[in-house]
Amino acid sequence: MQEEQEFINHLLNPKTQNQAFQRLLQDYQRPLYNHIRNIVLNHDDADDVLQNTFIKIFQNLKNFKGESKLFSWMYRIATNESLTFLNQKSKTSGISSETLQNKTIDNLEADVFFDGNEIQIKLQKAIAILPEKQQLIFKMKYFQELKYEEISEILGTTVGGLKASYHLAVKKIEAFVAIN
Amino acid sequence: MKTLKLENKPKIEPGFKTPDHYFENFSVKMMAQFPENEPKVISIFQKRKSLVLMVAAVLVLALMIPIFGPSSTNTKEIDAAELENYITYQSNVNQYDLISVLESEDISNIRTNIIVEDEAIEEQLSLNANLENLILD
Repeated sequence: MQEEQEFINHLLNPKTQNQAFQRLLQDYQRPLYNHIRNIVLNHDDADDVLQNTFIKIFQNLKNFKGESKLFSWMYRIATNESLTFLNQKSKTSGISSETLQNKTIDNLEADVFFDGNEIQIKLQKAIAILPEKQQLIFKMKYFQELKYEEISEILGTTVGGLKASYHLAVKKIEAFVAIN
Repeated sequence: MKTLKLENKPKIEPGFKTPDHYFENFSVKMMAQFPENEPKVISIFQKRKSLVLMVAAVLVLALMIPIFGPSSTNTKEIDAAELENYITYQSNVNQYDLISVLESEDISNIRTNIIVEDEAIEEQLSLNANLENLILD
């Protein structure tokens, strides 16, 4: 925690800020991109959201009180930015967020930045039937392989609640794939 | 379709790809967005101007104190005991002068309830050499 506090001090100090921020980008751009991409699905959208996320991180570092790990705090920002982006996109398109998600999944096959096969598209369609929070929990556990304790810090849900939600999500997804 | 068992290994990847050199370019793009931290340059003329203004402010405040400062008065409330002592020991005011100034209400308010034993009175009278003068008075 002390090492992390020192790193935050470097990020806040104008003399060491640039170097510290480069290190922040190096350490976190990939995991944050993967987290965002799992939510928004499309690369161009993920790129936009990732930029917004790092700008928000930079602007709000001075307000970070250290109640959680820096990593959890950044993931929380990335999650909120992704969900806000999708809500705005569905409003602009005049369609519901569920319809938007299904439309995006349908477009994956033709997406240059998707090299998945039939099962991966089916898996995405199965995940899309879950409630929003359960989708997040499943993606963070299954695709990103985050620990329950880490997910708990990011989403603010108890570990027990997360485990229950994840196992239920797995059952629903397997049932969907079996029928479809 | 085969039954899906998510607990089976290897896990199913999401299948997402990124453009070539995406992350290297992303870092460069992000760093270009943040302001460069240039060393702050403070002009010596600006510094001198600030110093002059500070000195002027102090002088103005110093000049204002005699004008707006608290006025001292030499009034002092006279202690009742001090006044009594003055009248008794230092002035030429006698009891007849005092009586002429006092109202009858004031006189009736001057009432002391001192309970003195007869023996104490006799003792005092016996010590008093001018006893005859007191009786005649």
